[in-house]
Amino acid sequence: MARIKAIIVKEFFHILRDPRSLIIVFIAPVTMIFILGYAFSFDLNRIDAAVVDFSQSDFSRQLVNRFANNRIFVLHFAGGGTSGGNPLRAAEEMLRKEKIKEIIVIPVNFSRRLTVHGQADFGIIIDASNSNTANLVFQYNEMIVLEFIAEMKKAGQLFKLHTKIYFNPEAKSSFFFIPGQIAAILLMISAMLTSVSISKERETGSIALLFISPLKSYEIIIGKTIPYIIVALLDGVLTLMFSRFWFGIPIHGSLLVLLFFAILYIIAGLSLGILISTTAPTQKAAMLAAQILTMLPSYLLSGFIFPIDSLNPVLQAISYAIPATYFLRIIRGVILKGSELKHFLFEGLMLVLLSAILLLAASRKFSRQRKAVQ
Amino acid sequence: MNQTVNAIEVRDLVKVFGHFQAVKGINFNVKQGEILGFLGPNGAGKTTIIKMITGLLKITSGSVLVSGLDNQKHMALIKKKLGYMSQKFSLYPLLTVLENIEFFGGISGLTRKELRDQAARIGAQLPAELLRQRIQALPPGIRQKVALFVCLLSDPEIILLDEPTSGVDPEMRRKFWNEIYQLKKNGKTLLVTTHHLDEAEYCDRVIIIHNGEIVWQGEPAELLQQNRQISIEELFKEVISKHGQN
Amino acid sequence: MRLRYLIKKELIEMIRQKEMLFLIFVAPVLQIIVLGYVVSTDIRHVPVGIVNLAKGNKAEQIIQRIDQTPLFRVRWVTRQPVDYLSYFKKGTVKSIIIFREALDKKRNLLKYPEVQILMDGVDSNTSLIAAGYFNGIIKNFILNDMGRRGQQLPLQAKVVFRFNPELRSINFMGPGIVGFILTILTIFLTATSLVREKEQQTLDTLLMSRLSALEIYIGKALPSALIGMVDMVIGLFVVVTWFGIPFRGNPLDLALTALVYVTAILSYALLISVFSSTQQQAMFFAWFSLLMFLLLSGFFTPIENIPSFLRILVDINPLRYLMKIIREIFLKGNGIAYFWKDLLILSGISVTLVSISLLNFKRFISK
Repeated sequence: MARIKAIIVKEFFHILRDPRSLIIVFIAPVTMIFILGYAFSFDLNRIDAAVVDFSQSDFSRQLVNRFANNRIFVLHFAGGGTSGGNPLRAAEEMLRKEKIKEIIVIPVNFSRRLTVHGQADFGIIIDASNSNTANLVFQYNEMIVLEFIAEMKKAGQLFKLHTKIYFNPEAKSSFFFIPGQIAAILLMISAMLTSVSISKERETGSIALLFISPLKSYEIIIGKTIPYIIVALLDGVLTLMFSRFWFGIPIHGSLLVLLFFAILYIIAGLSLGILISTTAPTQKAAMLAAQILTMLPSYLLSGFIFPIDSLNPVLQAISYAIPATYFLRIIRGVILKGSELKHFLFEGLMLVLLSAILLLAASRKFSRQRKAVQ
Repeated sequence: MNQTVNAIEVRDLVKVFGHFQAVKGINFNVKQGEILGFLGPNGAGKTTIIKMITGLLKITSGSVLVSGLDNQKHMALIKKKLGYMSQKFSLYPLLTVLENIEFFGGISGLTRKELRDQAARIGAQLPAELLRQRIQALPPGIRQKVALFVCLLSDPEIILLDEPTSGVDPEMRRKFWNEIYQLKKNGKTLLVTTHHLDEAEYCDRVIIIHNGEIVWQGEPAELLQQNRQISIEELFKEVISKHGQN
Repeated sequence: MRLRYLIKKELIEMIRQKEMLFLIFVAPVLQIIVLGYVVSTDIRHVPVGIVNLAKGNKAEQIIQRIDQTPLFRVRWVTRQPVDYLSYFKKGTVKSIIIFREALDKKRNLLKYPEVQILMDGVDSNTSLIAAGYFNGIIKNFILNDMGRRGQQLPLQAKVVFRFNPELRSINFMGPGIVGFILTILTIFLTATSLVREKEQQTLDTLLMSRLSALEIYIGKALPSALIGMVDMVIGLFVVVTWFGIPFRGNPLDLALTALVYVTAILSYALLISVFSSTQQQAMFFAWFSLLMFLLLSGFFTPIENIPSFLRILVDINPLRYLMKIIREIFLKGNGIAYFWKDLLILSGISVTLVSISLLNFKRFISK
């Protein structure tokens, strides 16, 4: 045990003395969570809409008012007067220039059609370049239209429909992204730091010393891993505090449960890092691999931004092999929903399984390389 | 040939890095057609001095004249006369011998025909299979040969070699110095730094540098006679320790 | 032209570094395919649980409607009340819909059941959109049902989704990916190039040659720009043919914008190279910068919501302008007449970066 401690102490010194790793460990995560907390947002707070009202009737004005009275909508009136031309074309230009998100077009016979046929149509042209935004815009529009219809038919008393949103009543994107960011940061740090550590030893030649030391291979691997667990946890705490006190994301669940799973998750990340470092030929390659193998999957395939349900089956299968997938569910659950240990037995098991596989592979590789040298 | 202009004249040359004085005001000349040896322990300032002569390092104060031209003002002209071989040989490890020669020759302004001629020349000096090997796969002796070749591509008059024999075995070192003599016979001037003390005897004159200052200069034979020393190692040790006591 | 020897050397070196080779050829293709399939904000298969405590068939009809849309996947339907919170905490469903008997003020049974839509709001984006769709489905059903006896809905909105009628998010992400590839390659290749010379100790001999500082600068920048542009074109090809993204604009506009953009990124990467002492350092800074550029560019999420104190970072981010212009070119077919302002700002940024970079490069050379 004392021998393992010696390695642990040495690794700590390495981390603390290398200004580069200090940046990776402290500055990068804080910066990232700060910027991402603000940058990542799907929220739609404002819809600029141009209104082209050819009907100019009471009825059309009622319709327009319903939009005007909604906080989200900011109406612009594409008048035909000053530009002298077609107001619809003017509105289309605004759409093209992204000054507005939609055009509301009310045809000339709008009011007449209602009185004569009992049904009137009008048009909404939505800029769908960003389909997500378009979806949200569409929802808002539909909501207004349906409410208007319901009122016209005096259907209010005929049915009741309520919506309740749990855990995130204001539907803030930051609630979704920030815990996820903590998970991504933890993975990147643990994998990057360790992936560099063994490659560095190999390049400077000090790995020969490790090889001939009396320590067993797994002891070396464990000794190298433990300091990084502590560092990564420190980072986790740091970013968590940031998210709680700066961004105001409430923590509903038990921190102890979070800690427990965080350790499992960090171990998985470290195992990945060590595997990379035993496999990559140079430090440069190790860093590159660490970046690609942690950043891309943990941002894209783990449910961090894009829901896993909407992925195609092949990618969904891959997501099951990524530690971040499981930890994301855990961290979001514990922080936002107050979920407990019992809810995550499957996820915890998967984390343990993944860690075990990765550590085993890393250990085997390491001892094989060792035997080759001896 | 007019011998009155020195190949290199160094006057009161000083280099300061932050608070550290690496070179403390040295003066020396390199006569045309001679082989001048720079001796000194690591960190003495030999490389710094050479880099200031070549313009790679900014001069803190003092002046360097190459063929009578001030190197602060006429660097472009001077570059045409100078050849430089740095420590570690400075060849591109991922490129082959031929590719290195093509590259360095090309940027020196050689025409395609001249490049072809040079390729043939190196082909005569090295076995064919080595020519297409990457530098990183070749032993130091071969690398040294190629580095010298590359340095001479632009046919410079004055050649500065920084530790050209480091890491090379004695047999190849001897061969190397034969080439140096050949160059001198062809009228080139050479400034060579080394910490192999036995090589000092190959030079026309020797300058010993320690802690950024010149400790001794003169002909190697004179040095030996003056001090009745048996070998230059002991002389060296003597001289250095005497200087260190000051 | 002596410069071509430098460019040739750079290209040879790049191809012979295994890591860079991987980066140049494999990574982009991988990224396109993964990103193309993954990067999708399309909502599909949102898991739903249904608690049907109502009698009568109206609830069942609504449930059928919900089941039919690909948006939702009905995981279970039960006639017993459940512990909603526990399901949400476990995470097996993102939404629970409860149908109950509805009573009016006089305690008479209403024709349509009372519907409660419970959403797990953690993924706020999905829940908002899904909730909206639920609302729409249910209300549409009820209102249509009410009007079945000869009456139509008095008001109908005909919606046209301009520029992206299928509402495919890949149409939005794809052009962005093309820009991303251009960025990742030029930044990584260039950032390491100068540092590599430092580490190999070949920098001195390079400087001793007759090449001027500007020539060396260009010689280092041009090869990566070349490779970056080539890969971008490959990316373009894949994105248009494989993913079927429309390209409605003028390729020349794209080429011009890409050129201006690449200049900016190159200068930035060379700055990294000047200030790094090892290749790892350079790579780390390159990666970190890439991340920041990407996140603050509107690639994933719209930049409208970014608060004002961070907007300065967004406004000087060259990738942000590329994203906007490239999307306009692809989806709207806009020409320079529309995006000249953005192009101008981008050019300004490029020029500034080139000057700063060149200045530091010269200073770095003559220490």
